[in-house]
Amino acid sequence: MSKLLEVLLLDDEPIVGRRLKPALDKIGCHVEIFENPREAVARIDQKDFDIVVTDIRMEEMDGIQVLEYVQKKCLRTKVIIITGYAKVELAREAMGKGVFDFIAKPFRPDDLRQIIANAAQALGVPIDLSSIKA
Amino acid sequence: MRILEKLKIITYREPGIRDFCIQTIRFRTLLENARALLALVEDGNEKVIGEYILDRHYVTSLIDDVVARLGMMVYDACVLAPEYGKLFYMQHDRHKRRAAELNSQEKTSGKKNTAGDAAVSSDPEYELLSDVLTWLNGEASEPGATVIDFMKQVFVHVIKKLDANNDSKIGLLIKNNVSKTVDCNMFLIDLWEDAIALPARPHSLEDINSIPLKLLLMDVQGGNLSPMAGDKARAVTWIAALSEYRLSLRTMEPGCNFHLETTVSGHERSDFIFIFADPSINTENILPPGFHTEITDHGQLAWKLDATPKAIEDSLISIGRHLS
Repeated sequence: MSKLLEVLLLDDEPIVGRRLKPALDKIGCHVEIFENPREAVARIDQKDFDIVVTDIRMEEMDGIQVLEYVQKKCLRTKVIIITGYAKVELAREAMGKGVFDFIAKPFRPDDLRQIIANAAQALGVPIDLSSIKA
Repeated sequence: MRILEKLKIITYREPGIRDFCIQTIRFRTLLENARALLALVEDGNEKVIGEYILDRHYVTSLIDDVVARLGMMVYDACVLAPEYGKLFYMQHDRHKRRAAELNSQEKTSGKKNTAGDAAVSSDPEYELLSDVLTWLNGEASEPGATVIDFMKQVFVHVIKKLDANNDSKIGLLIKNNVSKTVDCNMFLIDLWEDAIALPARPHSLEDINSIPLKLLLMDVQGGNLSPMAGDKARAVTWIAALSEYRLSLRTMEPGCNFHLETTVSGHERSDFIFIFADPSINTENILPPGFHTEITDHGQLAWKLDATPKAIEDSLISIGRHLS
């Protein structure tokens, strides 16, 4: 059996983690969910994740700061930013800082799965989305 | 004589005609705002099924957008029918209060599913969305209690007011300023014509650059258009305010109120057909398939939105055929 993709999912809205975890489990991801960015970066200190999916607007730390933190810790990690407020300035800043991709809320789990699959491909560990049951 | 050769255009601007044009343009703004509101409701309905990852911000933004758009609609309606202004604003205030209640609804779960048969999750965000959709388009406990019901009320009041105007001031103005010998049943007013006073003159539709009117009359070989069928059929007079892509067509007959608004620009997001017909008119004889219809005490509202440009064009041709 191939290695599971290690994914950290950070969003201060509990619904996001609650709904996305089972959707990502289905495509061979091992997902750790966080609602608090401080706790998330503490976990990033402890473990190298393949993919970090983070909301952009959160109290205490925003998604850009999380991106910067991840890049200091592990350049290999792909960061995907979730945004409910598709702000051009933030998007431009994040692109300049090497974010892998964006996804805007509301979105379907399949949309994120596709981005995760692209990230996995870029990491050299492709995943097959065709076997997923709806 | 073909109907295209029998049309007459008003190419000058009496103050009353100018007011009529302003009124028509304002009514179309009202329609645009209503369309935006319907799109918000549709978006919420699509999301509530549960396939989406959304957060509370999506729902509160939806509430705020509805209130803002409803405010624009109420403003348009008050310009068109100021005597109903107090009623409109009272209702709007009530909806604003309901919106504020929903926005402050606690993030708790475990409430009953209120969105009909939709498989709604027990997530608090989805519960809130479900409550919002009930407010938008649930069972109306009293007239105007839901946003959609309030919209219908607004339309009925505004259309009644516009028709009262047409029956009196505008009707007289047109009849007094356009040659009485004309054997045509449709007066044309260019919505964007400047205010230079020119004499009224017979006009062929071939000279008129209005795509929707040409489509509407495409299969009309002659004679009068009438929304009444069978034994009730009678000649009616029409007034058409138009531009290249827009048409606002209304009857000018007391007791026979048919009102059609359309945009045919080739862009799906802006093209539409809206119809109001009073209860004396059987729209089953007129409307092609694919129209959403709403019945009110004062008549039927019907519209076709988000259809392909070809579907809108075909519908207009069909409506013209059925009116002739």
